Amino acid sequence: MDVARIVLMRLGLGLVTLLVISALIFGAVELLPGDIAQSVLGQGATEETLAALRTELGLDRPAPVRYLSWLAGAVVGDFGVSLLNQSPVAEVIGTRFANTLFLATYAAIIAVPVAILLGVIVALFRNTIFDRVANIATLTSISSPEFFLGYILILYFSVKTGWFPSIAKVSDGMSFFELLERTFLPALTMVLVVVAHMMRMTRAAIINLLASPYIEMARLKGAPGWKVITLHALPNAWAPIINVVALNLAYLVTGVVLVEVVFVYPGIGQLLVDAVTKRDFPVVQACCLIFAATFILLNLAADIGSILTNPRLRHPK
Amino acid sequence: MNYFVIIYYALLIGGSCLAAHYKKREIFLLLFSLTLASFVMGIVGRESALWAVSIGAGLLALAAGIAYSFREFLIIISGPLTARALRTAPLTAAFGMFVIFTYAVLGIFAPIIAPYGEAEVISQSFAPADENMLLGADQLGRDMFSRLVYGARNTVGLALMATAIAFVIGALLGMIAAVKQGWFDQIMGRLIDVVMSIPSLIFALLLLSIFGTNMIILVIIIGIIYSPRVYRLTRAVAGNVVVMDYIEAAKLRGEGMWYLIRKEILPNSTSPLIAEFGLEFCFVFLLVAGLSFLGLGIQPPTADWGSMVRENATLISFGEITPLIPAAAIAMLTVAVNMVVDWMLHRTSGLKE
Repeated sequence: MDVARIVLMRLGLGLVTLLVISALIFGAVELLPGDIAQSVLGQGATEETLAALRTELGLDRPAPVRYLSWLAGAVVGDFGVSLLNQSPVAEVIGTRFANTLFLATYAAIIAVPVAILLGVIVALFRNTIFDRVANIATLTSISSPEFFLGYILILYFSVKTGWFPSIAKVSDGMSFFELLERTFLPALTMVLVVVAHMMRMTRAAIINLLASPYIEMARLKGAPGWKVITLHALPNAWAPIINVVALNLAYLVTGVVLVEVVFVYPGIGQLLVDAVTKRDFPVVQACCLIFAATFILLNLAADIGSILTNPRLRHPK
Repeated sequence: MNYFVIIYYALLIGGSCLAAHYKKREIFLLLFSLTLASFVMGIVGRESALWAVSIGAGLLALAAGIAYSFREFLIIISGPLTARALRTAPLTAAFGMFVIFTYAVLGIFAPIIAPYGEAEVISQSFAPADENMLLGADQLGRDMFSRLVYGARNTVGLALMATAIAFVIGALLGMIAAVKQGWFDQIMGRLIDVVMSIPSLIFALLLLSIFGTNMIILVIIIGIIYSPRVYRLTRAVAGNVVVMDYIEAAKLRGEGMWYLIRKEILPNSTSPLIAEFGLEFCFVFLLVAGLSFLGLGIQPPTADWGSMVRENATLISFGEITPLIPAAAIAMLTVAVNMVVDWMLHRTSGLKE
């Protein structure tokens, strides 16, 4: 099988998964005891007002029809109307989604190079005391809830020293550098978690590779250490490293929810939490779909990346 | 320069010299790099930074001491087979076991240990610590320490229940799929793929928005969300067992599916499953803590570590660390479980890096 066909098949599979998930997200709300109109108006609502709201929301149509029209809207960015303030969901989400993307990109740009570098270093110094210290440090960072790291950073970098603002308030008129300063602590929180994950995975990938016979051969013929790493190990390490990066970016997408709440950052994660508390279903559905889609796309990118960088697939015999 | 600083450096340098003399390369590297780092820290953070380092080192030594004695204690009280396994446990794993043991004691005997009830209002809100209240009061004037102790019961108990549900569902379906194969295996596989491609926190939020935040519903939802991971592992492990000759023999004997699962597959796949239980518990525990932190998990007035952090977060802006204690308790337990699991995985797989 050639590369193009494998990639196309993987893309198709991703699309199908996305479709199934959109159906799942839409269908979940159908499981609501009663229906949306009932849960909005409460138990005391009369039959007339219920019927009126149902027509307004289009609930009088059968579920598959509503799903298709919701899906058709979602594809072009129209997620219906918020139950709370009647404003279009797309309008509410628009800037917040951009904010979340900004924060995630900020964190990723710091985290990825640092994590890969540290991961390779730790793999080279494996089984020394530094490796063990790094192991415990990363384990602690992974095992801590995001809000723990976030509040520690607030305590030491904001309250005690006053270096950075503790609340990541952003507005339109801010300059780019001001924006970077305001969102530094939330970004750093995510960096800490993601770097730990990535370091451990990179270390495991590299160690796996260094154990293979051809690396030993390179060592035995007398190649210097850096040459073994850059010329022999790295070309085969790209696939696992790309995988690690994409998986952790996908992880960033969910980690962002808690971090946004800690730092009161106006992103899509906080919007989702608010919508869940207030049971604003169109917003919940839209946010969930966006999160799930990003997650799937990143996983897809990981798969395709590792297919494209696999030398065995690129140069078929 | 005062006596503390002089003694500090004298001990560090003396220690490195001794390590170098006795050819303890690792200890020497650690001590000497600590000395070098201390020069920088001492200049930047003055004497207090050095104090922090010595306190940290003291705590580390204390933890190592506890771990060592706890391991010896376990070796003495357990039978010969378990004792042999325990001797291979590294100090980190022993420390993890000690932490888990402490949490279990706290959770089980919470009403005896806690001086006040979990919802009992005893003083003013955010009252500072005094001889009655070890950690001060929370935002409603309840004793923080008592709530912390009860939290061990509520938060950990809920996470344990959810993990157990995930395990029963995932392991059972995984083993059935391994035995039956065919269409059941195929359909389950695709279904699991779909569920796993939704981030768990997002999935939990979606379901909670629909079913509301009831304790029982919470446990079931989290159990279902995490069962696919267990399914995958069980399917893989059981898949390796199913092809064995003794399974073939049992099938020829005419044994049914339940017999195969109970008597043949389960006993031969326990050790990876136990390790997976630990890992799974960590994920579930962090998710429960996160949901409670968002106000969507365990509901007040039940004491819970996640919501305790959120409710008292305002104290942090006054430089207090009390709101961080429940969060630290969460982190400590997950680290401890991870350490024990690491050792178990290492032992069962014979993995040598």
